[in-house]
Amino acid sequence: MIKELVKEDFATDLAQGAVLVDFYSKTCGPCKMLSFILKDIDKTYGEKVKIIKVDFEENPDLIEEHDVEGYPTLIMFKDGKELSRKAGLQQKPVIINMIEEAL
Amino acid sequence: MAKTVGYEFKEHLIQKQAKAEAAMLKEFRNGNFTMEKPLIKYNPYFVNDLAAVMLFRTEEETAITVRVLGKAKEGDFYQTFPKGKEHVLPIVGLYSNYENKIEVYPYQKYSQKVVHTIKTPEVAGAKLVEYMETTPEYMQDNVIFLCPAVSDLAIAVDYAGDVRLNFTVPMVWDIKRSPNGNILLGSERLMKMPYFVSGIYEMSPVGKIYKEYRVPHGYHHDQITLPNGDIAALNCDLDNGTVEDMAVIIDKDTGHVKRTIKFSNFIKPGSQKSGSWSDEDWFHCNAIWYDEPSNSLTFSGRHINAMVNIDFDTEELNWIISDPEGWPEEYQQFMFKPIGEGEFDWQYEQHANLITPLGDVMCFDNHHYGSQNPDKYLSANDSFSRGVKYRIDTDKMEIEQLWQYGKERGKEFFSPYICNVLYYNEGHYLTHSGGIAFDGEGNASEQLGPFAKIDDPSVTLESITVETINDEKVLELKVNSNYYRANKFTLYSKDGNNLSLGRGQLLGSLGETPQMDYDIPAEDTGELLPEKHQAHITDEVDMFTFESKFEKGQLVMLLLESEKEIRRYFISTSRGERGAMCTGTFLTDDDRDTRTVVTKEGLDGAYKVKVIVDDKKYDTGITITA
Repeated sequence: MIKELVKEDFATDLAQGAVLVDFYSKTCGPCKMLSFILKDIDKTYGEKVKIIKVDFEENPDLIEEHDVEGYPTLIMFKDGKELSRKAGLQQKPVIINMIEEAL
Repeated sequence: MAKTVGYEFKEHLIQKQAKAEAAMLKEFRNGNFTMEKPLIKYNPYFVNDLAAVMLFRTEEETAITVRVLGKAKEGDFYQTFPKGKEHVLPIVGLYSNYENKIEVYPYQKYSQKVVHTIKTPEVAGAKLVEYMETTPEYMQDNVIFLCPAVSDLAIAVDYAGDVRLNFTVPMVWDIKRSPNGNILLGSERLMKMPYFVSGIYEMSPVGKIYKEYRVPHGYHHDQITLPNGDIAALNCDLDNGTVEDMAVIIDKDTGHVKRTIKFSNFIKPGSQKSGSWSDEDWFHCNAIWYDEPSNSLTFSGRHINAMVNIDFDTEELNWIISDPEGWPEEYQQFMFKPIGEGEFDWQYEQHANLITPLGDVMCFDNHHYGSQNPDKYLSANDSFSRGVKYRIDTDKMEIEQLWQYGKERGKEFFSPYICNVLYYNEGHYLTHSGGIAFDGEGNASEQLGPFAKIDDPSVTLESITVETINDEKVLELKVNSNYYRANKFTLYSKDGNNLSLGRGQLLGSLGETPQMDYDIPAEDTGELLPEKHQAHITDEVDMFTFESKFEKGQLVMLLLESEKEIRRYFISTSRGERGAMCTGTFLTDDDRDTRTVVTKEGLDGAYKVKVIVDDKKYDTGITITA
């Protein structure tokens, strides 16, 4: 399930299950490419994984809180705990590995 | 209107040299060239424009002595070549813009000497030397060889500060002399920005390339020859989306990879973060060293502020030299405790680790940021860099600082990147601070040299190389540019033949370029990629390079379409933050420039090159064949 960030729900969303957070920018080519890949991955995993998209420019507080240095950055959470992160555009198998480790 | 984007086929230097050498030998065989009237070919291998080849025949089989005369007697370079009737002699160590005199005579028959003149043009590197302070007695016929960190290319400097070798091709990374007398250094063939190149050249200083050991996914920084002749070289774990965190063992004969060593198997990414750390470049390995007595490898991880030693066979962690602050508990058992009465400093963002014959560990301590703790980071003006030697006790896990050079010079000697040390003997070391940069007001630059120079032309770059014997300075060379590492050797090798004829070899493989496994929906326009993108394709024997300009944030993908398949390669148009930059030789000053290299491995047949820009697909008019 892919959704755009709803700030008031973010803490609750992170707290349970496997959550992949995509810190992206609208002005970033690799982020656009990554969004295609994430849509494809979402077709495979459906409800098993929440994919939350966080706009880098509009959420400086979350950027600082999660120590995100650039975009795109993917962070995989399991029950609120960060399991892994990848900076830059990633290939589908790499993202699938991140998800599988969290399931 | 053009029907294709720009295109050229670029011959590999090995092929280009083979043709030039064949033409040179044909001219030689068709002429009557004697010692008195030889054939002289200036820079015949296109690489060193302070070199030449002299060819002639003698009636008797004889050895020939060559003496390249210095401006003073102490500047002579000389070599005797083996017996023969046909003589093809490399001439190295010429001066720039000078009527160079070359003495040639049959071995031990000085009375028969003939003097020839080779007039050279002004070469690019000749004016970079600020000063050389040493004595001819100390230097003898050695030169200090400097390899590039910016757009100034490799040079070699003699005792008097004269440049005696000047490369015209951007061969990069560390230069090491092989046991057979040849030199090993990185190729000029860029595979991936900012500085990952296709492999390692084995060549002679005259410029002839004998082998290219191709390194899958790009070579960077350093290599070392193992006791059996194989080469251990640094490359990248691209499959994992990271860089500078892998090494390969390359077969000396075939060039094929025999073994891969992934650093994430012994250090968990993110365990320590230096000031320059990033997710992608989490280790930033800038040196590899093999130690035979302990059968171990030591890697210098700039972005973990650590020198990491592993067992060569098992790859198990032996020890880590690093400030222990901030390292997870699981690594503390591998850390050392400082002892001794003398001064002790940990090293930060170090380069070029090595182990001496006595088992001591040396490196160039850039001391960039000077702490594991971001709250205590040093400004560039308050920083220093140094060569340092530690003694370690792996039973007691104790460490003692035995020697350092450079801290006392403060910011004048501060290099936030690159540099090296060399061990000659106990108490006799080279310390090369090659990444010094100052702004127009004399402040040490917070930016690395290549970036600082692009942003501000008033920035000055410097490189200072010092040699000490028992703490007494015996050499100081200052050059007005940044240089990655310094090495010292003679231009004529006493151990090798200095020039072998015949075509060089292209060994090993470049690896298959990772494809993007997802398609972008796009409308096929059937049109040529618009001229505003200034696209250009450089085709080579084993790869091609697509260069083009795109605006930040555009979605761009390169496609190779054949009758059997479509291959997709993503082109990043993200300018992003500037990362570590150990050689800015390939940087451009237009941040719209993109450069995408695709190796021909895995390709089969003819492929049309197309480009998707946002939601439109364009043709380039170019077909690549593999």
